Amino acid sequence: MSSSNADLKRRQRFDRVVSALHKDLYRYAAWLCRDPGIAEEVVQESLFRAWKSLDALREDGAAKSWLLTIVRRENARYFERKRLETVDIDSLTPGQSAMLAETEDPNVAEMREAMYRLEDDYREPLALQVLMGHSTKEIAELMGIKPGAVLTRLHRARIKLKEEVAKEAAA
Amino acid sequence: MNTSGKIMNCENYREAIAADPSESFEGGAGHAAVCESCSAYRAEIQALDLTIARALAIDVPELKIPDLPPIGEEDGNVVNLPFRRVSKITTPAWIGIAASFALAAVIGMQFVGNGPSHDQLLAAQVLAHLDHEPWALKVTNVAVSEERLAQVVNPGVGTMDHDIGLVTFAQTCIINGRIIPHLVIQGEKGPITLLLMPDEMVSSAVILSGESVNGVILPVGDGSIAIIGARDERIEDLKQRVVDSVEWSI
Repeated sequence: MSSSNADLKRRQRFDRVVSALHKDLYRYAAWLCRDPGIAEEVVQESLFRAWKSLDALREDGAAKSWLLTIVRRENARYFERKRLETVDIDSLTPGQSAMLAETEDPNVAEMREAMYRLEDDYREPLALQVLMGHSTKEIAELMGIKPGAVLTRLHRARIKLKEEVAKEAAA
Repeated sequence: MNTSGKIMNCENYREAIAADPSESFEGGAGHAAVCESCSAYRAEIQALDLTIARALAIDVPELKIPDLPPIGEEDGNVVNLPFRRVSKITTPAWIGIAASFALAAVIGMQFVGNGPSHDQLLAAQVLAHLDHEPWALKVTNVAVSEERLAQVVNPGVGTMDHDIGLVTFAQTCIINGRIIPHLVIQGEKGPITLLLMPDEMVSSAVILSGESVNGVILPVGDGSIAIIGARDERIEDLKQRVVDSVEWSI
């Protein structure tokens, strides 16, 4: 295969993988950092890294976990040690407010706010399970924690959300 | 029955269903079939999950693929990577390090090529770190546990194979504000420190030589690895083995 042909095939493979998973990557990034602008930047940088390392991806079937790992790492790089554990819901940036306000269903809006307030340790495994369809084992591998810890966090996350929603309903 | 062979009670079931509403865990369906209250709880959790899924499914902007460089045209100079944030080491840290530096009376840092000050300051932090953790440098044949090693060299950092040598110390430490794995392996002349720094680039190999130590900070991919041993340790022989044993996460 000529070099240009190989390059073309590489690019086609990249485009195919990325276009199929772009929504997942963006949403994962957005729920990790809770800021649409930062999420876009994280995804852009992740795509750049993925392009450079595409040859390390043996099978396209493994692309989702591979790309999510890149996004996770890129997000950590972005924040490094400045990451804030909580976001004050009353002082959101316009982008953050837009992320919360883009639904007309009050139940979904309420849940989105509750998700926003949820601690990183709980929000991330929940997004990976519900949004990405990851198994407990996959979440454990991605987050570098034990499966038992994943289950505990998932359980607590749902209980917290349930309580938050109930509190809002009662108010 | 659950995986441990015990009959699942309501408390176990509710914890499990809240962690996994698909009820893929063993014994779940059996319990819910005979427990009306838990069956109702499952319905409640599954309804909650539908709302969670809808809440998580935020609008996604149009896909924008960044400008991608042709592969094979890069010269391997990691400093030129686009999108890379240049890390900063502050001058006060350097002064503090210089003052506390007692590992060798004066370490002469000799730079191969025109190393920018970032390389110099990183080298100073690396050496000062050794000064702060002298207990890591002990001669022993007792390896750290696999579990410990996996915690320190975690998937966020990368992978490391056993060819690296007998690891007798493993701890996460902070260099330049970033958490990194600090390992010690046993060399021919004594303990050898390895600092795996996946996010600290150096422009070229930084040679460290002092009265009691010698070492190098090698550029490896988008990061670097510091290898520091006793003065008469043959670091040169180790470099390739260490680099081949470590693979950064992307």
